Amino acid sequence: MTAALLLQSTIIGVSIGSIYILMALGLTLMFGMMHIINFAHGAVYMLGAFVIYYVFFQWGAPYFVAFLLAMVLLGVFGFLVERTVYRPIKGGIEPTLVALLALTTFLQAAGYPVFGQLDKHVPPVFRGTRDILGVMISSERLMIIPVAGVLVVGLYLFINKTRLGAAMRAIEQDKEAAALQGVNVHVVNGLAFAIGFALAAAAGALMAPIFKLDPMMGEQPLLKAFIIIILGGLGSIPGAILGGLMLGLIDSIVATALGAEPAFLLSFVFIIVLLLFKPTGLFGHAP
Amino acid sequence: MKHPSPLTCVLLFAFVLLVATSPGDADAADVIKFGIATPLSGPAAPWGIPHKNATELIFDEINSQGGLDVGGKKYKLEIVAYDHKYVIAEGVATVNRLIAKDGVKYISVLGGSVVKAVEETVNEGRVLNLPLAYADGLVSPKNPLTFHAFPSPPETTTFWKWIKERHSQIKRVATLSPNDDTGWWSIKVETTYVQKLGYDVVSKEFFERTMTDFNPVLLRILAQKPDIISVLASPAGSVGLIIKQARELGFKGRFIHVGQIDTSVVANIAGKANVEGTWVHGYVQNPLPDKIKSWQARYTKKYGEWNATSIDFANPAFAFVAAVKKAQSLDQKKIAEALQSVEFENLWGKAHFGGKEYYGIGNQILYPMPFSEVKDGVANLVAQLVPPHN
Repeated sequence: MTAALLLQSTIIGVSIGSIYILMALGLTLMFGMMHIINFAHGAVYMLGAFVIYYVFFQWGAPYFVAFLLAMVLLGVFGFLVERTVYRPIKGGIEPTLVALLALTTFLQAAGYPVFGQLDKHVPPVFRGTRDILGVMISSERLMIIPVAGVLVVGLYLFINKTRLGAAMRAIEQDKEAAALQGVNVHVVNGLAFAIGFALAAAAGALMAPIFKLDPMMGEQPLLKAFIIIILGGLGSIPGAILGGLMLGLIDSIVATALGAEPAFLLSFVFIIVLLLFKPTGLFGHAP
Repeated sequence: MKHPSPLTCVLLFAFVLLVATSPGDADAADVIKFGIATPLSGPAAPWGIPHKNATELIFDEINSQGGLDVGGKKYKLEIVAYDHKYVIAEGVATVNRLIAKDGVKYISVLGGSVVKAVEETVNEGRVLNLPLAYADGLVSPKNPLTFHAFPSPPETTTFWKWIKERHSQIKRVATLSPNDDTGWWSIKVETTYVQKLGYDVVSKEFFERTMTDFNPVLLRILAQKPDIISVLASPAGSVGLIIKQARELGFKGRFIHVGQIDTSVVANIAGKANVEGTWVHGYVQNPLPDKIKSWQARYTKKYGEWNATSIDFANPAFAFVAAVKKAQSLDQKKIAEALQSVEFENLWGKAHFGGKEYYGIGNQILYPMPFSEVKDGVANLVAQLVPPHN
């Protein structure tokens, strides 16, 4: 592999990794606080992309308005899911998993009659390519990196520098103790759902102009996000960031050097080997 | 009493709706049921939807004239269609359902990997199959009731000879195809053929049908500096992404799909300018002969949106109707015998089943094959070539 090819695949890997991070952050946040795996994350990613399709492409609103709208709408949806799905079944882990799986299946199945059977597309927002040290990278892919970076930093500041963030961390450490200290667990859980859904929607909204859209488009990113949160450590935000970046780079550099199939296999081999030595993942800790 | 949650209500409603609208057992009397197992959703839907619609349109037109005359009795033609999403497990389930529950004796299945997965079921059930699929060994003496109704790579790769004669500057070929029966066979046939013509095959890559980010695999391909990238057997949505991403990475050469894709879907995803110069088999928008113009008008009237893929995907229905007329029987074996000798009209002219010298059985459809080149976003006919075997 030449230096130019390595550089090109590294930049592409960081770009792919940025999307993986956004997907994984929401998942790991919800797991850390409520110990649930949100199977609906892929469907929310898909809905975020379709908000861009309608609001930006069909109705002509500016892209970043549509982007923010996708995050807000799906964030509100997440809050409502906590209220109508998670809370009524009293946070039971298994019933919640089944309910979220049912929600995913319903959203995907409903997608075909609502959005149509044929693949949809969104025109490019940032046209053309950039020459970086002699290699060509699409402007759209480059834009993913700063946008995802802003969202990651924003989430970090929210969790570490605000009272609500402190409440989230308190619930993560000990839900009962947090409640005794006056934290409204239901509201904060709802907020975690909202943030998780909004981040998945942001990932979908960022990818909409790059890939094609269909109701099943969230399945692959969801699978990647699962791999990342196991790799990084369930519930760990730094783990999701590092894991996402590592998987993005493996997907890009290994696939460029050896082919797509070896890269797919290698990501699993890497996780198995890591978990053999560190069963809780990179930043996870034993319960 | 506790009220069920809104989600429970929605799911119950969806279930009731699904049960209420699922195809039940139609009155079997005087009806010929023809099963369709095809992708009506997902990346391959641009193939599956015109497959179903074209069959339905031909049957509806025959029904409106009183039906199909078999042995002095009129029969209505009815399709029973299921969506298999181009997923093997769903394909097996839909074909099992067609045969076991719906009692269908004649089917058309789309998708090489799906057709291969149901090969034994079809043979054991003595079901007549008119698939639209690329799969090694599908047209074979061991599948006497399977009649492949679309030109396959052994026929369509002949277009490379046309390219060799007219575009001698193209020397280095890269191939990129789905990682399944369809892709493997397509690439095997195509690379063997183009190497015989003297081309240098510089890259052979495969991808999972769910893949959307082709950048890494394209970087591998582009490192080999191909003049042309062949995306044989890839669905239109994937081809759109491949072309878009390859152009972003700086590829200036041509693309070829000697399979069948809707270039308007490709152009929507990739951008009109990026698709310029792409060669494709079996998808033509201009010029269309009068017979196809009439088909276009009827198709558009019934389904609203024109899909040129329907032109060649009408073959199973045309072949089936012609063979039943000739056999004057509803017995699958007799219809199969008729298929091996009947000459019938499809939308491009005269067609028949043959290819015994290549496949060992004359069960491959043969007719002058249309090839087009995309110019200004439109697939223009550049050649109609006779198949290399008869």
